[in-house]
Amino acid sequence: MGFLRVLQEKRFFLFWLFCGGCVLGVVLTVVTVQAVEWTGDDKFCGMCHIMTPEVDSYHLDKHGGHNHVGMKAECVDCHLPHDNIIHYFVEKTLLGMEDVYGNTMKNPRKFDWEMNRREARDYVFDSGCLRCHTNLKDATQSNMKAFLPHRDYFAKLTKKHCVECHLDEVGHKNLGIHLRKFLKQDYKPTVRALISTSHN
Amino acid sequence: MRASLAGFLAFVFCLGWLSAHPPRGGTSIDNAMDTQLPLKTFRGMKAEAKGCIECHAKKNPGIVADWKMSRHAHAGVSCIDCHAVSKDSPMLTRDGHEGSKVPISVLVSTNTCAKCHEKEVTEFRHSGHVRGAVQVWAKANMRDLMVMVEGRNHPDLKYAPAATGCQQCHGSIIKLDKNRRPTPETWPTYGIGTAFPDGSVGNCASCHSAHKFSLEEARKPAACASCHLGPDHPDIEIYNNSMHGHVFNAEGAKWNFDAAPGTWKVPDFRAPTCATCHMSGNTKSMVTHNVSRRLKWNLFMPLSKLRTGGYETASDDFKYENKITIGNPLAGNPKGPEAARAEMKAGCIDCHNKQHIDNFFVMADKNIMLYNEYWKEAVKMKDELAKKHLLGKDMWSDDFQNTMYHMWHHEGRRMRQGGIMAAPDYSHWHGVFEVQQDIRKLRKIYAKRLKTNKIED
Repeated sequence: MGFLRVLQEKRFFLFWLFCGGCVLGVVLTVVTVQAVEWTGDDKFCGMCHIMTPEVDSYHLDKHGGHNHVGMKAECVDCHLPHDNIIHYFVEKTLLGMEDVYGNTMKNPRKFDWEMNRREARDYVFDSGCLRCHTNLKDATQSNMKAFLPHRDYFAKLTKKHCVECHLDEVGHKNLGIHLRKFLKQDYKPTVRALISTSHN
Repeated sequence: MRASLAGFLAFVFCLGWLSAHPPRGGTSIDNAMDTQLPLKTFRGMKAEAKGCIECHAKKNPGIVADWKMSRHAHAGVSCIDCHAVSKDSPMLTRDGHEGSKVPISVLVSTNTCAKCHEKEVTEFRHSGHVRGAVQVWAKANMRDLMVMVEGRNHPDLKYAPAATGCQQCHGSIIKLDKNRRPTPETWPTYGIGTAFPDGSVGNCASCHSAHKFSLEEARKPAACASCHLGPDHPDIEIYNNSMHGHVFNAEGAKWNFDAAPGTWKVPDFRAPTCATCHMSGNTKSMVTHNVSRRLKWNLFMPLSKLRTGGYETASDDFKYENKITIGNPLAGNPKGPEAARAEMKAGCIDCHNKQHIDNFFVMADKNIMLYNEYWKEAVKMKDELAKKHLLGKDMWSDDFQNTMYHMWHHEGRRMRQGGIMAAPDYSHWHGVFEVQQDIRKLRKIYAKRLKTNKIED
C-alpha cells in the first residue's frame, strides 16, 4: 500500500497543488474569455489595413450601429458559428489562421473581393443570425411577403442560408463602393459587369 | 310653337352643357376602362412602396393593372420588392429615378425571384432552358450567322437580326450603358435564357408574363407557343395536330387552370397541355421546372443521342466561372434516360393503359433511330466530299451543305418531334417524307461532284 502512504505523506503539498491548479484554471479561463472578447469586434478586426472597406461600410449599416437604437452586432456575431462553443473555437482558430496567412504570405489587395462576396454562405453563419433574431419564425408568420420564404427555411424545404437571400443587404452597406474606393486599381469589379460592357 | 321652340332651346343648351362638362370619374360612357381615377393603396406597405404604385398607376396604368391582378399584389409584394437594388449593385440605374429616392433597376433577375421561389429557380437552372442565350454567343457558327451572314457585318445594323429575332426567344446577354441601363441591342427581351449582369441566368417572365406572373397562363400551351413554333421546331403545330391538342382546342376554355401549385391534375382538364407532361407532378416525379428532366432523347441536335448528361451546366458556368459556354446539350434526368422516360410515362397512365403507352413509345423511339440512319448516311457523304475539297466555303450558298442543314434543323426535327408528340402530319409529310427527298438530293449532288471533281454552279 505504498501509494496510499505517499498520498498521506504529501497531503499538504497535494492540497496546495490542487488549489493552485484551480486558481490557474480560473485565471486562464478568464484570460481566454477576455481574449476572445477583445478579438471579436471591429476595432480588432479592423487592425488589418485590408479590412478598411468592410469596417467603413459596416459602420454605415444597421448592423454596425447605424440604427435608431444604436445596437451593434460585432464581427464575430455573424462571422462565427454560435451553435456550440467547440465549433465556435475551432472556427475562430481556423479563420484566424487563414486571416494571418492571407495578410502575411499573400497580398490581400489582389484578391477578387467581389467574387468572394458571392460566397458569403461560407463565412456568415445562420446560427449567428438566429442568436439575435430569435423570434424570426413567429415574426414572419403574419407578414405575407416574408411568410413563404421563411416557412420554407424553417420547414427545411430549402438548403439556402440566410445570407444567400439577404446578400448585399446585410452587414456592410454598399460594400462594393467602399471596396472600389479603397482598392483603387486593384479593384476587380463583378466580372459580370465586364462581360456586359465588352462586345460579343 | 313657342313651347316646342323652348323645348328645342333647352335641348341645345343641354347638349352644350354636356360637351362643356364631360362626365368625370368612374363611369364615363365612352371609356370602359377609366384610368383617370387616381389609384390609392391602403395596405400595410412602406410609404416608398405606395409611392411607386400610385405614381406608376398614372404613368403606366397597364403595368399596375397587371400587378393588381397578380398573386404578388395579394401577398403584398410590390414594385420595390423586386426592382429595388443596393447602391453597389452592378445593375443600379445611375441616372436616377424621377420622383423617388429608392435606388432601382429596370432589370429583375432570377436571383430576385429565387428569394421566395428558390425551388422553382433551382430546378429551372438545371434545365436546358437556361442555355438559351449564352450558347448562342458561345458558338462561332451562330455568331457568324447572326452578325456576319444575316447582319451583313453592317457597322450599324449588324445586331438587328439577333435583337429582333434570336434573342427574343433565346434571351440575350444583357449589356449596360454608362448609366447602367440596358442597351437596345440586348434589351428588352422575354428570352428564357437571358443572362443578367448580376450573374444569374434565366427569365421567369418568359412563361409567366410580367407583371401578372400568372400560374394559369404558364399552364396553357400559349406560354410555350410563342417560341416553340415555326419550321425548325413546330411544337405548337405538333400539339394542335395531336389528339391532345384537338381536345384542348375543342374544350380547353372550360377547363380549370387555376388549381393550387402542385395539385393540377385530371379532372381539371381532359387532355394534357405542354406543362402537364413536361412539368406537372405524377406518381414518379415531383412537379418540376426542369423541363429537360423527363426527356429521353435529344431531338434538336443533328444526331439524336440519349440524354445522359445529368443537369444543365450553363448557368453555373456563367454565375461562378464568368464563362459563356455551350452548356450541356445532353442535360436530362440525373438518373439517366430510362428514368427520364419512366417519369414521362408516369404522367400518361392517368388517361392511358400501359399497353397503349408502351406501344406508342416503342414506335416513336424507332422513328428517332430511323432519322439517325438518314443523318449518318449524309455525314458519310459529307466527310468524303470534305476530304476531296468538294464542299463550298460558304455553306449557305452550297447546295449540299444547305440541304443537309435543312435535313436536320428543319425536316429532321419535325420528323422526330412530330413522332414523339403524336403529330402524324409533322412526323410524316413535314418530316420523314421531306427527309427522304433530302437524302436523294444529297446523293445526287454527291455523285455528281465525285464524277466531275468540282462543285457545280
